[in-house]
Amino acid sequence: MNGSSACEAAEADRQRDLLARLAAPRADAAASPGLQAYRANAHASAERALGSACPTVRALLGAEDFAHLAREYWHAHPPQRGDLGEWGAALPEWLADHEALATWPYLADCARLDLALHRCERAADAVFDAASLARLSGSEPTQLHLRLMPGVQLLGSRWPLESIHAAHAAGGDESAFDIARERLQQGQGEAVVIARDGWRGVVQCIDAPGMAFMQALVRGADLAQAIDAAGEGFDFADWLAAALRGRWLQEVILVER
Amino acid sequence: MQAVTPDMALTGIGLRQPHYRELLEGRPALGFVEVHSENFFADGGATLAVLDAARAIYAVSLHGVGLGLGSAAGLDPWHLDRLARLAQRVQPVRISDHASFARGHAVSGGPVLHANDLLPVAFTQAALDIMVRNVMQVQERLRRGILVENLAAYLSFDDAVQISEVDFLVGLCRRSGCQLLLDVNNLMVNALNQRAADPLAACCDFIDALPPGLIGEIHLAGYCEHSAFGIVIDDHGSRVRGPVWAAYAHALRRFGPLPTLIEWDTDVPALAVLLGEAHTAARLQAAS
Repeated sequence: MNGSSACEAAEADRQRDLLARLAAPRADAAASPGLQAYRANAHASAERALGSACPTVRALLGAEDFAHLAREYWHAHPPQRGDLGEWGAALPEWLADHEALATWPYLADCARLDLALHRCERAADAVFDAASLARLSGSEPTQLHLRLMPGVQLLGSRWPLESIHAAHAAGGDESAFDIARERLQQGQGEAVVIARDGWRGVVQCIDAPGMAFMQALVRGADLAQAIDAAGEGFDFADWLAAALRGRWLQEVILVER
Repeated sequence: MQAVTPDMALTGIGLRQPHYRELLEGRPALGFVEVHSENFFADGGATLAVLDAARAIYAVSLHGVGLGLGSAAGLDPWHLDRLARLAQRVQPVRISDHASFARGHAVSGGPVLHANDLLPVAFTQAALDIMVRNVMQVQERLRRGILVENLAAYLSFDDAVQISEVDFLVGLCRRSGCQLLLDVNNLMVNALNQRAADPLAACCDFIDALPPGLIGEIHLAGYCEHSAFGIVIDDHGSRVRGPVWAAYAHALRRFGPLPTLIEWDTDVPALAVLLGEAHTAARLQAAS
């Protein structure tokens, strides 16, 4: 190692030492006011970023407990990118494994839903190609692919995700909470489609055949294969009406063979 | 009698969410608006649409907080790609970031951590070499010069220091071809935290040591005294303090009028309050 690279290695060591002291779960007793200030700033950023991305989880836990969890998560899974809007992918699994949250078994799926909405609202803007619908008549289903809008995501859950989300998004509507509680007690799971309505991400329930159909589309199936995957009880016309209402569909693509 | 609005051609404010509608509808006279680049790295969505709308009215300056120009681990290619994409979209009047580091391995061989903060570098020759290399990589990627801002630092590496902060910044500008974004409030915060006998004089000495021609923009903001930590924090949460205005006036006398931003990021006030601060900066420019 020459002198220059040795000196740069010393800088790398110095930076690693400061990052390690920031990332340590607890500040050491001798932490300077400056180090405490940087740690406090990291915690405040974590609370803001995760609170913004996960409003349902925050509402379920309450602001104080959520802030504590956000700080703990920062130390467990610190950001790797300089855009905190990209942070949080490991949160659902981390919540699922968190011993203190064992009495909140649906919290991880609520985080998955929150993060899906967050990603959806950051997805590329796209315009629905209405003219492409004409391809549905006059083409073989094996030659057609249905492209979903950017940001559309599918989430299956053994918990009533849409009902829990709706209750908290409604801001204190007791009847919405009653519905969510009832479905929780009944163990009624809900599969949902996340899509964008204007700038806002929205959540809509979908039945099992519709979910299987959309999962096949995401995997790259053509229309005929996707209808096969959906199985009994699937009605393409009904699905298409829901897709147009919910802005799930971007375009119908004709693949020449 | 109502005060006459000064010439605002060189003065800007941060574009912040509470002001989006009022600013875009009222279109007050401003030389530019500045945004934190990283807040607009998404592929699409509402915030980018607001930025497009602002760009149709104002010149936009992209001010980054996450490149980590001093990082010994190097730059994140993903970050640089996103910045380049945003710059292509916005065609900004200026692009800037900080003389700080942000990313690296907290544990040898572990994943790279991005602190999402402006962490100080040691003022050494090796740290300067690293920052020059990183700044040049950014400038080559963006095909334009950038500005680099002096930090408010809450830690220092006194036992390692080889060169002064001024020499570090001047060396960075001369070797990489970047310009300096002079944050006058950061000078004051550092002077106060270093317990300077006369903080204003310390700021003016720093300004006097900078050669004319290197500075492309000035930042002004408020700071707070953090009672628990016993230090002054550059929180961008209040009006510009009197001594910071005095140091700004001193900088204008030395360097002449320069693009100047009022930063206000926490406890964001009514737009009229922010514009009032911007008008004060513009009047000082006119008087310089």
